[in-house]
Amino acid sequence: MYGWIWRHLPGNAWVRALISIVLVLAVVYALFQYVFPWAEPLLPFNDVTVDGQ
Amino acid sequence: MRLVVRTFSELCITVGALIVLFVVYVLYWTGVQAASASAGQIDTLQREWTSTPVRTAAPVPEVVPHAPGRGIAVMYVPRLGKDWKWPVLQGTEVGTLKKGLGHYTGTARLGETGNFAVAGHRRTYGDPFKDFPRLREGDAIVLTDGTTWFTYRVDRAPYRTVPTDVGVIDPVPAKSGFDGPGRYLTLTTCEPEWGSSHRLVVWAHLDATRPVADGRPQALDS
Repeated sequence: MYGWIWRHLPGNAWVRALISIVLVLAVVYALFQYVFPWAEPLLPFNDVTVDGQ
Repeated sequence: MRLVVRTFSELCITVGALIVLFVVYVLYWTGVQAASASAGQIDTLQREWTSTPVRTAAPVPEVVPHAPGRGIAVMYVPRLGKDWKWPVLQGTEVGTLKKGLGHYTGTARLGETGNFAVAGHRRTYGDPFKDFPRLREGDAIVLTDGTTWFTYRVDRAPYRTVPTDVGVIDPVPAKSGFDGPGRYLTLTTCEPEWGSSHRLVVWAHLDATRPVADGRPQALDS
């Protein structure tokens, strides 16, 4: 999977490494900004009220 | 065969990295976000309070309900830390509780007869009620709405109950030991620390009020 991505990136090894870092950062950003805020309320840490549910 | 093994190991590493990142998010990043959000809420409140002239001691009774998600007061609990200070926002929606403590919709307003009920996170989002079990009889819970300081006193150590026990935020809470109408305050959070099977509840009664113009109440500095 990662080998496939690496082989399909353009440029020499340095350029590929740079693009890889940018890709990783983009994924981490998307996770922290969108995926984790959605997933976190599904865990029990948010249930602090008495609400009869 | 080699391809299958390689793909499988890469998947495992990816899932592991995801889990680590998620733990970082829950333990650390929610706290960072809550710290800046709650500081922003307190700033907004204090700006509002200084920009509007201080009302007289006997204001016209306000019947306007608080807008959901808006800040309504700042809470101080010396037992939870000298610098412990959190905004109380209107409503107990998930998004509201990420920015501060939440005032249960439909319960009494601050300082009024009835029960001013407030919920807060025990863990994650800044851990406001992390030391909740340390609260004891006589502890001060101080709130201000910009006009008045309200000092409540805790009546007993935290009471453990189930999530469906909505009676704990009644105007005269069942099992609290209060025997008639009064100016009460209820705090709720989750129990156990990282779970949701139960709730911890603390009840307090209004002990003293003091106009903001007269300075901070003694309970804050003792």
